[in-house]
This record gives sequence, structure tokens and C-alpha cells, in this order.
Amino acid sequence: MCASVKYNIRGPALIPRMKTKHRIYYITLFSIVLLGLIATGMFQFWPHSIESSSDWSVQKRSIRDVPVVRLPADSPVPERGDLSCRMHTCFDVYRCGFNPKNKIKVYIYSLKKYVDDAGVPVSSTISQEYNELLTAVADSDYYTEDIARACLFIPSIDLLNQNALRVKETAQALAQLSRWDRGTNHLLFNMLPGGPPDYNTALDVPRDRPRRYFLLSSQMALHPEYREELAALQARHGEAVLVLDKCTNLSEGIPAARKRCHKHQVFDYPQVLQEATFCVVLRGARLGQAVLSDVLRAGCIPVIIADSYILPFSEVLDWKRASVAVPEEKMSDVHGILQSIPQRQIEEMQRQARWFWEAYFQSIKAIALATLQIINDRIYPYAAISYEDWNDPPSVKWGSVSNPLFLPLIPPQSQGFTAIVLTYDRVESLFRVITEVSKVPSLSKLLVVWNNQNKNPPEDSLWPKIRVPLKVVRTAENKLSNRFFPYDEIETEAVLAIDDDIIMLTSDELQFGYEVWREFPDRLVGYPGRLHLWDHEMSKWKYESEWTNEVSMVLTGAAFYHKYFNYLYTYKMPGDIKNWVDAHMNCEDIAMNFLVANVTGKAVIKVTPRKKFKCPECTAIDGLSLDQTHMVERSECINKFASVFGTMPLKVVEHRADPVLYKDDFPEKLKSFPNIGSL
Amino acid sequence: MQSWRRKSLWLALLASWLLVLLGLFPLLRLAVPTSPRAGAPQGWPRWLDAELLQSFAKPGELLEDGPRPPQALRGGSCNWGACFDTSKCRGGGLKVFVYPAAGPVSETRRKILASVEGSRYHTLSAAEACLLLLLSPDTSTGECDPVPPQWDGGRNHLVLSLHPAPCPRTFQLGQAMVAEASPTVDTFRPGFDVALPLLPEAHPLRGGVPGQLRQHSPRPGVALLALAEDGGRWHVAGTDFSACPWDGRCEQDRGPKQTHPGATLPNATFCLIPGRGPDVLHFLQALQAGCIPVLLSPRWELPFSEVIDWTKAAIVADERLPLQVLTALQEMPLTRVLALRQQTQFLWDAYFSSVEKVIHTTLEIIQDRIFGPSAHPSLLWNSPPGAILALPTFSPSPSDFPFYHLQQGSRPLGRFSALIWAGALGQPPLKLIQAVAGSEHCAQILVLWSSEKPPPTGWPKTAVPLTVIDGHRKVSDRFFPYSAISTDAILSLDAHSSLSTSEVDFAFVVWQSFPERMVGFLTWSHFWDEARGGWGYTAKRTNEFSMVLTSAAFYHRYYHTLFTHALPKALRTLADEAPTCVDVLMNFLVASVTKLPPIKVPYGMWHQEARPPPLEPGGPGLRQEPQPAAQNCINQMAAGFGHMPLVSSRLRLDPVLFKDPVSVLRKKYRSLEKP
Repeated sequence: MCASVKYNIRGPALIPRMKTKHRIYYITLFSIVLLGLIATGMFQFWPHSIESSSDWSVQKRSIRDVPVVRLPADSPVPERGDLSCRMHTCFDVYRCGFNPKNKIKVYIYSLKKYVDDAGVPVSSTISQEYNELLTAVADSDYYTEDIARACLFIPSIDLLNQNALRVKETAQALAQLSRWDRGTNHLLFNMLPGGPPDYNTALDVPRDRPRRYFLLSSQMALHPEYREELAALQARHGEAVLVLDKCTNLSEGIPAARKRCHKHQVFDYPQVLQEATFCVVLRGARLGQAVLSDVLRAGCIPVIIADSYILPFSEVLDWKRASVAVPEEKMSDVHGILQSIPQRQIEEMQRQARWFWEAYFQSIKAIALATLQIINDRIYPYAAISYEDWNDPPSVKWGSVSNPLFLPLIPPQSQGFTAIVLTYDRVESLFRVITEVSKVPSLSKLLVVWNNQNKNPPEDSLWPKIRVPLKVVRTAENKLSNRFFPYDEIETEAVLAIDDDIIMLTSDELQFGYEVWREFPDRLVGYPGRLHLWDHEMSKWKYESEWTNEVSMVLTGAAFYHKYFNYLYTYKMPGDIKNWVDAHMNCEDIAMNFLVANVTGKAVIKVTPRKKFKCPECTAIDGLSLDQTHMVERSECINKFASVFGTMPLKVVEHRADPVLYKDDFPEKLKSFPNIGSL
Repeated sequence: MQSWRRKSLWLALLASWLLVLLGLFPLLRLAVPTSPRAGAPQGWPRWLDAELLQSFAKPGELLEDGPRPPQALRGGSCNWGACFDTSKCRGGGLKVFVYPAAGPVSETRRKILASVEGSRYHTLSAAEACLLLLLSPDTSTGECDPVPPQWDGGRNHLVLSLHPAPCPRTFQLGQAMVAEASPTVDTFRPGFDVALPLLPEAHPLRGGVPGQLRQHSPRPGVALLALAEDGGRWHVAGTDFSACPWDGRCEQDRGPKQTHPGATLPNATFCLIPGRGPDVLHFLQALQAGCIPVLLSPRWELPFSEVIDWTKAAIVADERLPLQVLTALQEMPLTRVLALRQQTQFLWDAYFSSVEKVIHTTLEIIQDRIFGPSAHPSLLWNSPPGAILALPTFSPSPSDFPFYHLQQGSRPLGRFSALIWAGALGQPPLKLIQAVAGSEHCAQILVLWSSEKPPPTGWPKTAVPLTVIDGHRKVSDRFFPYSAISTDAILSLDAHSSLSTSEVDFAFVVWQSFPERMVGFLTWSHFWDEARGGWGYTAKRTNEFSMVLTSAAFYHRYYHTLFTHALPKALRTLADEAPTCVDVLMNFLVASVTKLPPIKVPYGMWHQEARPPPLEPGGPGLRQEPQPAAQNCINQMAAGFGHMPLVSSRLRLDPVLFKDPVSVLRKKYRSLEKP
């Protein structure tokens, strides 16, 4: 076809000399081309017909048409489950191997129908719930199609309901799975708690219905001994306790599962659960009770009276926060035990119960994913999800702060600090800063970040001679964020960020700043303080550098902080703030203040009295106008960052730190830091 | 003709190009071996007839589960509900009786006995006890104890052994709980037995050595790994572990100089500890050193695993995946390394550093089981200051404590109660009451009348409610958790104290930023007195301080609960006998909880002159030089706590514009600057 095209390209030159017979040739060519066109058009639509050829495979994808496997009566039966199994004895971790994402790979066996010798099916092929569960697994990140790469295997044999299957034959079916190997790395799902499928989810809405009953029991098939105990409870506490049972005289057509009765009073189930504060979960035939799931969904606090009941996902979920466990022996005291719980705690538990339901039990998918996550956490414990992530409801997670430097300790003074001077080309001023800073006793190293790519830093011999090591780092690009890069050269925890024009700080002031940082190692400790204010007229934040009684930020032109915040600034700054700062060449200090306040939940510490600083705001040569545009820019930064963080993390305080004897009537020469506020 | 021909030619050309374009792509698509195409059904099929599938259980079936009788008591697999009788603990909560030792008492045993006796749960009567503690014999020479008198099949007994028992038990454990060092996971009964740490022989009784960590983040260049070896040694592997330091597989590169003797602690970021028995001791060593324990498939239960969330402080890894574990450790994010390191130190300091802490933690766990729903929440166990110092009886809600506001996203209540302690005094302290009541943050004034004389009637009219409480004329009374205290903050005052309203206002605003600390006006500092070989303290003005006087200080009301219910009785008695001691005691208590210094705020010197010169013997002095007897007090306190908890501070928090060269009209707290 290509050749003919080429011919055609050359064609026009020949055409004038061609005669009628060529016309036929052209017509033939044209029709061929047209035919081809039609054919191509057809071909384009072919994928659809490929689908229709997979009509054939969809036919096969009906449950009725899954391949049938005949299990001979004498096929091997697997050993009983080994109760002493532990993760490190019975689980083959080698199959999971190294995985950069720390995610296990799960394989699902394809669906088959098992029949015995006589051709009678071993069990119903698959239930709706199990199908849903496997679909959820297959849709998750854990799923793999490659059986060789999988470390966890899920048989498609439905074991959810033990009543509905023939135990021995099902075991035989399991044993013949291609990777069964005595069940190593196989995950079986059995008897999930889950409400009857005809649940009406719309009924779930009313939340603040008054809870008329303090304690409610809704289970139907209870052992007479329990029933007696419950009846005794009801007799003792009257209205507050409601014990429900099966309805005996229901008219035809009403599903018995949806009704409960007390004497002759009929209640709708599960709606009635919403009217109780506590709901009893007693021991049934299988410890795991469907009623637990109903109770959680109704926001009722489950009272577990079943001693050896392992609550679902108890490995990671803290059930103490959402339920009350009462030993079976203490069943008669249950009312007293519950009565002693303060109202606030009850509300907390209700909220928690509802959160557990919503996060982990409300759908088969949620259950399947939680299960896989737990196994994943066991295999990759170093990447495991924390207690708080599992258990804290979103409202708590949103408001809470977990300070990365939570351990209360005062680092030793001997460690000292590293001064980082960001400079461009003001060599003279830089050298003065270096000389001044080097007088501070606790200085252990000085790092100059040379941000000028067009100019080389001065020769070694020209630098001031100081008592501590001085390193010059050259940057690849003139960016403000270079000041906050976690350089390997920083060996101390404390970092002093200082501009190359801050020469008005005395050695005493700097040393005292370091001492203050030691007492507050998780905060920004700085000299010039600034404030953010809410502008009611404009409905936005405003930057304030006047003499105020409050402070919420410190300028990083001279500030001490933990070097960990450099790591956070460089690698964990939310949103596009870092690029925004580099593009605008402004507000890196405000960004740092936001970052630290957001991660620690704490305010800055301003040290020493106010003095006229040589700082961006003050170097305004053109006077007022430049000063004002600068303030507008800074205010914009605050608004921009507050929107990226989604909140205003800055904390306003009214204090600053001074030496203990500052301005006290006390001989100056006996003071540790006499030279403060003097310049 | 020509034009027609040309047209048709062009058309043909166009059509063939289209053909090429249209035809080539599907062909290409076919030519490329069909890798899984997007959108194609993959993995688990979407069944055509999914809608028709049956549910796994019929609606009725789940509910119609057959009944099951209550559980019978089984000795072998006891659990808390079946084998422990909590009815005995009703009312007074946990009461512990410990069987007296029969023969010679070993050192460890003496420490355990002392710890139990120092506990607030201890009782001397076996009859009123709800937990009977039986100490396992711990000396190889000692005879094995016979069955104790109140044994009763082991019911409500706790058999405690800090070291593996040298002689086999002469009797069946029955229903007794076992608190054992590093029990194997196979015999451990979760929720019933208690897993203890394996302590070295010379573990201190009280206080204990603090954690070794002096800084939050690992030092640069510190070794990544240390591997525990037999005989209590550590093999520091450094960052280069191409040959794995595993199971002796890389015996050849063990340099002798890299091996530390058992006494020293490992200096590395992670400590690999094999899961086999003899290495259990390493676990505590690593914890103390702030070296994150990496436990390789431990066969033993981690200590206090019932309450401690070990995933926050240690890594339990699979020993079969050396390369994977090593890579994971190398690539672990800095944030997590920091968190793990800090948690090791917190846990060590809160639960493991002394025998007393281990025993008290054990009792606290049992108490939590008895409490049921009002036990410590997990947060209280797993964040500073730890469950021994956070009493669940104070409040069920963590946000009522001063420690968890950050985690809970809460704030302390915005007002304070002034608690004025009035000893022998004829007149109501009018000036003080007016100054305090003038503060906008003041919610109420409580006068604790501690004099023999009946309180006077002429109390001034104030804007806030004023209540007089009759005290018991003991100094420690002033720290009793009175139910009348309705706010989080307490301003503790003496009748002699002199304060201005703006001082009170500013101090309270500062306290709101530091609700777990004491914020005070007058300070003392402690020092080590070489000449006398003991601690001393002084009220002289110095460049640092470590205590604030409770005659004028803000602190959280939780410290009243802690002072009254958690301090050993002996220390409180001591404070009652030497009144200035009560300040020291309160400062010790708060410092041992926070591990931080108190906070000083400015205090006008003009108060000094206004102060009445004679000091009543009944009340703690304002600024008097501690008497020699009082100097002794600090040493007795230090002995009682087992260590010196006080921390010094070199700073004072002033208002932002304090004494700045700016118009006084701009200043919010201008009256603080009176000369």
C-alpha cells in the first residue's frame, strides 16, 4: 500500500500523457482506495467487535460457567490449623521480598466450582459479599495478577459462612490450590459480621435522637442463663433497661429479623438501637456477633460481655475507647459499672464507635482493606500506620499537633551552634558579621552560603581569621531557600540563621539567644519580632512591624532554631510555598515561621529588647513608598501561606525572653549577660 | 477531463493517505504484543450475574445463632474476667498485700518490697487486700517458698519474678497471674499475665539513671547500627554493612576494637537485637541509650505490652529478611527516626529506669484492669509524662490535664482561681484580695483559713465570688484538690504576698502558653554544695533559678491532685514538719513531671519594701534565707525522689515592650515598670 502511495505521489507529472485506458486504471485505483477506506473504517470500529468477541468470554464470566473441578473423595485433606502459629513461624516472608513501596502483593485464585465425586457441589460458588470483598482487593494497590510475585494468596473459595459449606470437601478444595503449601501465606475470610443485606441505609441518618434507654439488649437467641440475668437487670432498674426478644405473634409477611419485642410491645430493629446509650453484646454461637456491627452503626456503645471474644481488628483498634468490656461473671453489676462512666466519656465513646463503624466496618470493601493493611503492617513494621492514624477520628486528627521534638530536654551547652550566613556580594559587611559572631563563646562552626553564581567568593587568605571552622558553600542558583537547606556541614542541632548585614547584635545577646534556644529547642528563637493581625475591613491578614505588645513571628535574619526544621523546610514544605518564595525572593522567614508553628503548635520566642535593626524593612532607601509596598507584599505572603496551610498556625504571645536579672537593680558586673540592649 | 482526472487523482491521493493514517494505527496496535490494555477487564472479573448472587447468610441466620452457655472456669487458660475477683476491690480500688519474706532477703527482693510498700496501693492487711503479691524466690540458695496461707487456688494472686526463677515451683499456679521478666510468647496470657522487663542485678531502687540521649536528633556521623552480641556486648557496625552483621554470618569483619564491653551503652541509631532469650537484657540497654531497638522476631513478650505501644519506640522486624530490614532502616525518614528516639527515652524514664517504676507500672496495669472503662487511655500511657504521673482518677478526658493540649487540639480554660493560704492572721489581706480580684482573668477567690482562730467576718466585697474554706492547719493542705477549684489555673498565694493586678494579668497570660509549668514571681536556685557534699539552695538573686515560690505562683490544678494522691506520704509529712520544705516539694514534683524549669515573670522590687518584716513560723516565707534545717530538706527530698529533678533556667519572660525606649502609652503592662 505504501508503494502505491509513492507511485501516486509521482503521478501528477505523468497524468497529461495518459489515455483513456488509464482512466480505468484510475477508477480501479480509486475504488480500491475507497474500499480500503471503508475497510479501515470498519477496522476502527473493530475494538468494539473485539469486545463482542469477548462476548464469548463474558459468557464465560457468568458465575454459572466457571470451570468445574471434581474433587476425588480421597484427595488429601489439609492438617488442622496450627494454633501456635506466629507471624515469624508460619508466615513465609521470603515471598514478600524486598519492596520499595512497602506494600504486600496479593493474588486471588480464579473462581472455580468444586464438586465431589457424585457431582454434587461442595458449596455455593460465591456469595455476594465475598465477591464484593475480592473485587475490593483486586481494585486495591495490593493486587497482583502474577502468582509468582505474590506474597499473600486469597482463595476464591467462599468460606464466609461455615454453615453453608461442607467442611471436609472444602478443605480438600483448599488443599489442591496451586500454592496452598499447608496454607502458608494464605488468607481465609470467615464469618464476617455484617448486617442483613436488606438494610435500609437511609434509616441511618437521625443522630441526635434522645437515647431513652440506658442499656439495651436486642439479641434473640440467648442462653437461658443470660436471659435470666438480663431479666433480673430489667427488674432492678426498670425503664432504663430494655431487654428485647424474638416476636412470637408477628403477622405473616413481616420479616422477623426486622422486629424485636418486649412483652407485647413491638420495636423496629435495628432502629431501636439508636434509642439506647449502651447495647449489650453477649456470647452467641460464634463469638463474633453480627449485633456488634448493628450496634456500632447505631452509635450505641457496645457492652461486650463475652470473655474470650477477640474484637474485630483488635490488633490495631483500641476498643477501650469505643466499648465497655464487662467480664461475664460481673454481668449482674453491669448497670453499676456503666453508671460510673462520666457523661463526657460516654459522648466520646459514642463518637468513637461511630468512627470505627464508618472507617472500618461499614462496607465489605472497608473490611477487606483494613485486613490487608494490618497484614501489611506486620510484614513491613517500619512503615506501619500509627495508633493515632487507626484510632483518632478525623476531628481529633485535624485539631491535634504532634510535635516532632516532643521530648522535654535541654541540650547540653557544650554542643554549641552553627551560624549560617546567607550572602550575595556584600563582602565587607559579611566579614564584619563573621568577626562579630565569632566572638560568641558557644559558636562551634560558621557556614557562609555564597548565593552569587557570577562572582567567586574572596580568596581564603582574605577571610577573617576566627577560632572556629569556617566553611563556604556555593549554591547553584540564587535562591532564598538556600538559607534553609540541611547542609551536611551542620553538625550541631542549633542553627543560627543570620543575614550578612546584622552587625548590631552583641556577643552577649547572641550567647543569651542560644541559651534561650536550649530551653526551647523546638521553637524559633529570634531577635526582631513581628505580628500578624486580622484586618476586619479587608477581611484578610495583615503584617505588622510596629512596636506592638504582641509577637507571633521572628525574622530569620537573626534567629536560632533546630536544624530539623531545615529538613522540613526543604523537603516537607506544604504546597508550592517553597517555589513561591524563590520566585518572589521574599517571605522565606514568614514561611519558616508558618512551618514551625504548624508542626509544633507553639509560639516563637522573641529575645532581648527591641532595637533598630538593619533588616529588609529598614533598608528602604526610597523611604515610605518602598516601605509600604514591602509591607503589602509581606501581608500577601501571610494570606497566601494561610490559604496553603488551610489554617492560621501562628500563635500570638505577649512575652519575650530576657536574662533573669535584666534591668534589675543589681551590680552589672555580676550579671551573666550585662551587654544586652546596649547598642 | 483533465480537471476531473486531476481532481480524482487528488481525491485518491487524499483517500490513500487517510487510509494509511487510519490503517496504520490499528495495525501498529496489533503488531505490538498486547500488554494489558487499559480499560480491559483485569484481575477479579466483574460477574455478569453479580446481582443475582446469594448473600453469604440468610437474614435470619445471623441472628438465630445458637445460644452458648457461659464459660466455665478453666485453670489453664485463665483470663481476667474469669479468674480475678474484682468485687474485693470495690470502693477503695486496688489494695495490695505482699507476703513477707520468710528467710534471708536478697537485694532485688528488698527493692521490690520497698517499692510495693512505697506504693499508694499498699496495705498491711491481707484481709482487705484485693491483690496478693507473691514474690518468686530469686536466690539460688534460698528455699522455694511453700504455698502461702491465703492462696485459695491462686485467686487474686500475682506471682512476681524479676528474674527467671531458679527453682521449679512447688505448687500449681492455679488462677494466679504471673508477672515475669520476658515471658515467652507461647505461655504468655495476654490481658492476664504481665510482661516485665529483664532488669540487671544492680538496677537502682528509685530515680534511676536518666536516658542517655542529650539531643533530639542523632549526631552526624554516628554509627547506624549496633548489633547485640552474647555476653552483653555491642558490635557497632557503622554505616557500611555490605556484609550483613547478622547471626554471626559476617564473623570475619568483627574488629576487636569495635566491640564494647557490656557496661557501656551502644552509640548508634539502631540496635539490632536477636529474638533469642539471652539477649533480652540488651533491650533495656538500647532503650536507655536512645538507640532504637530493632527486635528480630522476638520470642518473648515485650515488657508491659498490654499498655505500651511499642511501635512508637521500637521496630519488630523479621529476622529472615536481613537485606530488607537494613535497607528500610537506612532509608527511614528522619521524622520517624526522631520520633522513635525520643519515645525510647520517654519510656525508659517513665517505666523502666528503676525497680520502683517497674513495680508501680505493674500495679498500675492491674489497677487499670479493675477500673475498666475509667482506666488510663492509651494516650496517657504513651506520651509524656506517662501513666504513673497521670492519674486517671483526675479526669476521664485528656484535655483536662495540662500535658495533652497539643495532641488534643485543646486549650486550658481562660480564667484562674486565686487560692490564698491564711495562717495565723487577724486581718483579711484586703490589699491582696483587691489586687487579685481586679484581674479580668480571675474567676474566684478561695481563702484557705488555716488558723486556730475562727476566720474574721469582714471580708471585702469583690467583683468575683470569695469563699472561705476551713483548712486543717497543715501546710500540705494548701495543695489539696478542693472541689471548689473550678478552673484549670490556680494562683497560689500567701496572705503576706504582695502583687499588683498587672503582674497577675501578665503572669496568667504567660501561664496559658505553659500550662504544665509553674509560673512564679520569686525564685530560689539550687546548687551542689561541695563542702557539705549535698544539695543546697538559696534565695539570693542569681543569674539562674530552679524553683519558684508557691506563695505567689500560677500552676495547673492537676498538681494538687498529684501532690495529694501520688506523693509518698513520708515526703508530705516532711513538708508539714518543715514548712519551707513545701515549696521545695512542690517544685520537685512539677520538675519531675515536666523535666523542665519553672518560669519566672517580672516582680516589682517595690513589693520588697512593703513586705511585713516578721514572718510567721506557720507560713512559708517570701524571701527568707532557708534555715539549715530547710537546707537539709532539699537533700531529704532528693533522696525521696531518688534523684535531683530540678532544672535551672537562665531567663525571665517579660512583656514584649518591657522597659523599651518607647512611649509608655503603647505598653500594655506599663505598671510593671515602676522603679
